[in-house]
Amino acid sequence: MLKNKLKIPDKTRKPFPDRLGSLVIGFDYRDGENVGSDVALEFGEELETIQPKGFGSDREFEEPDGGVEAECVQEEVLTGGGAAAAAAGETEFRARQRPGREGSGHVSVLEVIAADEKRSDVEYELSQEEINLEKLQRIASKGLPDEGGLRATTWKLLLGYLPPSRNLWQKELSENRLKYAKLKGDLLISPSEFARRKILGFGPCETEAGSDVDGPLRRHQISQEDHPLSLGKASVWNQYFENTEVAEQIDRDLQRTHPDMKFFSGETVISRRHREAMRNILLLFAKLNPAIRYVQGMNEVLAPIYYVFSTDPNEQNAANAEADSFSCFVRLLGDSVDHFCQQLDNSSVGILSTLSRLSELLKTNDEELWRHLEFTTRVEPQFYAFRWITLLLTQEFSFQSILRIWDSLLGNPFGVQDMLLRVCCAMLLCMKSRLLSGDFIANLKLLQHYPDINIEHLLQVAMDLTPDTSSYRLSL
Amino acid sequence: MVLVLALGDLHIPHRAPDLPAKFKSMLVPGKIQHIICTGNLCIKEVHDYLKTLCPDLHITRGEYDEETRYPETKTLTIGQFKLGLCHGHQVIPWGDLDSLAMLQRQLDVDILVTGHTHQFTAYKHEGGVVINPGSATGAYSSITYDVNPSFVLMDIDGLRVVVYVYELIDGEVKVDKIDFKKTTTTTAH
Repeated sequence: MLKNKLKIPDKTRKPFPDRLGSLVIGFDYRDGENVGSDVALEFGEELETIQPKGFGSDREFEEPDGGVEAECVQEEVLTGGGAAAAAAGETEFRARQRPGREGSGHVSVLEVIAADEKRSDVEYELSQEEINLEKLQRIASKGLPDEGGLRATTWKLLLGYLPPSRNLWQKELSENRLKYAKLKGDLLISPSEFARRKILGFGPCETEAGSDVDGPLRRHQISQEDHPLSLGKASVWNQYFENTEVAEQIDRDLQRTHPDMKFFSGETVISRRHREAMRNILLLFAKLNPAIRYVQGMNEVLAPIYYVFSTDPNEQNAANAEADSFSCFVRLLGDSVDHFCQQLDNSSVGILSTLSRLSELLKTNDEELWRHLEFTTRVEPQFYAFRWITLLLTQEFSFQSILRIWDSLLGNPFGVQDMLLRVCCAMLLCMKSRLLSGDFIANLKLLQHYPDINIEHLLQVAMDLTPDTSSYRLSL
Repeated sequence: MVLVLALGDLHIPHRAPDLPAKFKSMLVPGKIQHIICTGNLCIKEVHDYLKTLCPDLHITRGEYDEETRYPETKTLTIGQFKLGLCHGHQVIPWGDLDSLAMLQRQLDVDILVTGHTHQFTAYKHEGGVVINPGSATGAYSSITYDVNPSFVLMDIDGLRVVVYVYELIDGEVKVDKIDFKKTTTTTAH
């Protein structure tokens, strides 16, 4: 079976990706078939193992003990594969492998193979005329490859921005981009620009005539709304000044977005441009949604979307990242927009209701932990999960992990919110031993500064959770 | 888009107690970037009030100002425009266009803002603009008692300036607008 896998197209002969540097956790090479799903792929993330405190639950994160074993097995696989491959290119592949393996000892051939499989799967799906969204969702739930702009296109499809029929893409994209440009022109315009356009509408001759002749300047009567000090609600000027407050808040938050990433922070022309684009998106969203305006943290939800779309190798897509990000941001927040509205807090669609659903989910899956949190230590979901849910976990993990988690969130056939609650519950379950042994303060500290764990494991736990059927009761 | 407030000749407290209420309600901090004041405030409290509206305040000395250290004339550059400021009692005949044009050439400015006559005027003269914002409190002048409170707000945007004239006529605020575009050749004079 492995022999088939080694007859792969040229893609693997690319320079060996150094992102695949991580331990293969719990790797137990039994069968070639299982390779694709079992291997924990961490693109660019260092894994930190967490020592279990003696609780043997299989949901808990276990220390890898198959490390050495795995290496020997890989050696066999490699030589076996080498014999099968006849082309010179394959030996080249092998040769490049050796230094890597000897150096770090962590890189695995099978990981490369699995990654390529995944990439070819996604590419195959995306190349269809009529894209099968269900299949795409399934593939996305297992994680999407970082390169080739595949993630960008997949996210656009999963969010419903692009229709499943490929031939409609160009039309949809250009329509939406035009719409965005128009919205920007209408809403983000400065009042003087607005006044200037109004004047041009009356005809250029009126203003030009007086400019060459000396003498008293002509005065034009204007309405109470048109001047900068106007306090009227409908005045362009008044709205402009009201929005400066929101704009200032947005600017402050943008400065603090991912300060460790060159893409967002710093004073280079490029990062400024990115921040400017994000500013426009957020400002436009605030204007179009006066009920929620801008809430601190929305910049964090926007950041992954904008990043993924801007780093699309396709030139046209990258240039229009702002317009695409706006539409997808609106769609993504569409589900959770009720969480931001304070008036809806206590209603059945508000944040408190969602938090109680999380509690119920935990109760269904692990009553002991639930009891410990709710009653013994009184750590209520409001204290830790509020940020998890409203900001879609963007503040809890590293950027790369967020991208992986969002692949699963978007790939869930039951919707983002459903998967989000599952992941939150899984986060609690993975920390079970530490939580059970902690008191209020320790638990709160732990949950508010969630430690790094293996994301694949977390997502696997989330997928395996029993859904909470109690929510199907009539809620009064 | 830079907003510049031009006002003057308030004569507080000698000839008027305060700005009209309707003007005061419109003048809120945070909107205006610069204030240029022709003079005759006259006391420090008015200076402090103007400072709260906008930290960038420029004043020239009028003949009744109690603060003696304001300059006689001032020039500043905002965007593409050079603005000149002077109270105007020094230029005789008071309010005469040609004499003011002399001052404008001397200061080498595009827009000259002077006061003293307590009457709003805006003239285009020999390649530049002369603006008199009038008296913001409607205080009587050396020439006449019949004064409407008025001030001027300029919106400087690139090579174009839009002058908004605010006048209090019969208890109502009336706003007029004047457009002025600077052609780059005018500076050749």
